[in-house]
Amino acid sequence: MYGRSEPDGEAAAAGGRAPSDGRTSNSTARRRSDSVKKTRPPFPWFGMDIGGTLVKLVYFEPKDITAEEEQEEVENLKSIRRYLTSNTAYGTTGIRDVHLELQDLTLCGRTGTLHFIRFPTHDLPAFLQMGRSKHFSSLHTTLCATGGGAYKFESDFRTMADLQLHKLDELDCLIRGVLYIDSVVSRGPSECYYFENPTDPDRCVQRPYTLENPYPLLLVNIGSGVSILAVYSENNYKRVTGTSLGGGTFLGLCCLLTGCSTFEEALEMASQGESTRVDKLVRDIYGGDYERFGLPGWAVASSFGNMMSKEKRESVSKADLARATLVTITNNIGSITRMCALNENIERVVFVGNFLRVNTLSMKLLAYAMDYWSKGQLKALFLQHEGYFGAVGALLELLHPS
Amino acid sequence: MHYLHRGDDAECNGSPAKRCRLRRRTESVRRSRPPFPWFGMDIGGTLVKLVYFEPVDITAEEEQEEVENLKSIRRYLTSNVAYGKTGVRDVHLELRNLTMCGRTGNLHFIRFPTQAMPRFIQMGRDKNFSSLHTTLCATGGGAYKFENDFRSMADLELLKLDELDCLIRGLLYVDRVSFNGHPECYYFQNPADTESCVKKPCTLEDPFPMLLVNIGSGVSILAVYSENDYKRVTGTSLGGGTFLGLCCLLTGCETFEEALEMASKGDSTNVDKLVKDIYGGDYERFGLQGSAVASSFGHMMSQDKRDSISKEDLARATLVTITNNIGSIARMCAVNEKIERVVFVGNFLRINTVSMKLLAYAMDFWSKGQLRALFLEHEGYFGAVGALMELLKTTEDP
Repeated sequence: MYGRSEPDGEAAAAGGRAPSDGRTSNSTARRRSDSVKKTRPPFPWFGMDIGGTLVKLVYFEPKDITAEEEQEEVENLKSIRRYLTSNTAYGTTGIRDVHLELQDLTLCGRTGTLHFIRFPTHDLPAFLQMGRSKHFSSLHTTLCATGGGAYKFESDFRTMADLQLHKLDELDCLIRGVLYIDSVVSRGPSECYYFENPTDPDRCVQRPYTLENPYPLLLVNIGSGVSILAVYSENNYKRVTGTSLGGGTFLGLCCLLTGCSTFEEALEMASQGESTRVDKLVRDIYGGDYERFGLPGWAVASSFGNMMSKEKRESVSKADLARATLVTITNNIGSITRMCALNENIERVVFVGNFLRVNTLSMKLLAYAMDYWSKGQLKALFLQHEGYFGAVGALLELLHPS
Repeated sequence: MHYLHRGDDAECNGSPAKRCRLRRRTESVRRSRPPFPWFGMDIGGTLVKLVYFEPVDITAEEEQEEVENLKSIRRYLTSNVAYGKTGVRDVHLELRNLTMCGRTGNLHFIRFPTQAMPRFIQMGRDKNFSSLHTTLCATGGGAYKFENDFRSMADLELLKLDELDCLIRGLLYVDRVSFNGHPECYYFQNPADTESCVKKPCTLEDPFPMLLVNIGSGVSILAVYSENDYKRVTGTSLGGGTFLGLCCLLTGCETFEEALEMASKGDSTNVDKLVKDIYGGDYERFGLQGSAVASSFGHMMSQDKRDSISKEDLARATLVTITNNIGSIARMCAVNEKIERVVFVGNFLRINTVSMKLLAYAMDFWSKGQLRALFLEHEGYFGAVGALMELLKTTEDP
């Protein structure tokens, strides 16, 4: 059942909400609005990506609601809208990334704000409980969900909250989401950026990059684990490979080695540590460079290699261990990525995923590694909305089923 | 001095001209044959690998002429299997009755931690090694790092050799001479099946091209097209040193053997987040089985899970993580270089059947049977053997 009835909707359409494709006569506008309306799903509009560690939720808040529409809106829909938009934190672990909000977005003929929310997958039961208590199922909306959790929790959604998920592939959604967001972000910071002078802390600076003519692209999604995709066009891509040493490894190892319990704590520690105390470098083995094969003395020969010595173990700090974990995982991803880029003959590499959230250290390491080891052939690119693209792609599937 | 006065009588069949040619050849070989002792040394990031050729065809005359310190070195090395607190002679790897450079003898394989290098150099000094005027052929990073120490502490000049050149030379040599009549090379049949998984010998005849993965403290991956034509494709810093370093930190163990012992008893699936933990089953779209690891150590972000796992589980997860990462990278290289044979060497695999089987399985499974993982008995010693061979390079008679 729709949040508003048909006749009023027509009046509302004639009332001057501009259709998304520019100025036309009122009657044409009405006919087009009607046809879009008929295929437009009912509110609320969500896209959900249930990953191994985090649930990413995008919510479209319509800003063009007429008085009439508002009057007709059912109570629970209103309550959902208010709850989501008047809070930036939900429960103890849910967070709305306000700085990522996209305003004045037009989707499917409606104008509004796209919100970006995340919470640990661990807390999904609480989320389902909330969906149940807010009678979400009575809204009869389709809940488009991607990520492994869309499969794993499908029956929980059904039994606990009477909700049917429309399951979507996470990589399809990822690509769709990336291409969409990059195309609509027009104000404020560019969605896509890179680092100039990544190794020079004084001169290292973020610079915008336009992804027009994006193909071919190597897309590296660093979540709990890593997937690497070669993208040739919106509908033509392949998963080249992946690695299980991802963001989950970084966090898991850090928790074990340092006693920290969150991603933010782990990053904080890493920012203060020195990994060269923990890692065995080429110069520790060669006394300098390994010239024959172009390995500089400062390159890591053996990650954590110094830790087999009791003396060295006793002399490093938790921050050093956190830093070494970060550097190890990041460089491994960089190395594997570089091999893929070389083999697929692709020069542009886009890194996404929540491992890079608030993680400038890793981004700069990746930027540097791509540049250095490829002698300037490869460029590392990053996107502001990092880990949310799967959820955006799921939302797009709701609005424009493929 | 201690050159061979081999009885030419033994080869005295045939005409005087023939005997004369034979004598000239023997003498020319003898002239270009280096003086004893014959060592090859590979000073790695974690271990020093030493090969020592013990001549068993020493005549009474030679023995009489032999200088004391040379005799003492030979006796010390061959009558012990342990040296100091950390030196070990791998007796089971000894190559017996080998002929090198016209001499017959046993090739011994000795290792000790690179940390004990100062003591080793000290011993060389105490035994007056420098008076023997032998060339000490050494490879590995330590040949460069410790070059000055050898000179200043023991008055020894190292002949420095590249570790990858030596690795390939040594590997091809040992495979050629075989392991006391048995094959040096082997693979695992049915690696996924613990019941029926079995070691099978093979030969490296017609070995090229081969992908050579050397897993020491760190890892180098080489594409080898012929004995003298190879390239270093890539490497990874997540190697044997990472396994041992992380294990020491996570479990409190102190040695490689302890770490392996723990790993053999643990269950990594308590520590790693598997595909099925995220998908509830397989990720069919991209052919990822539920049992595949999605995120190594991925469960360890949860306090509950951290409290429920054992040190053995952590050791196992560390082993599996490092091994599978190497396997994955090796596989990518094999595909890109279009090479089907992947040979794994290096001391990370010493007494480490778990990793060998994991690698065998990974190569086979992920390539759908296209790639084969091969292993060699003398694992981490090829660099040292290659260094010894450089010492013995003789000029052939035309």
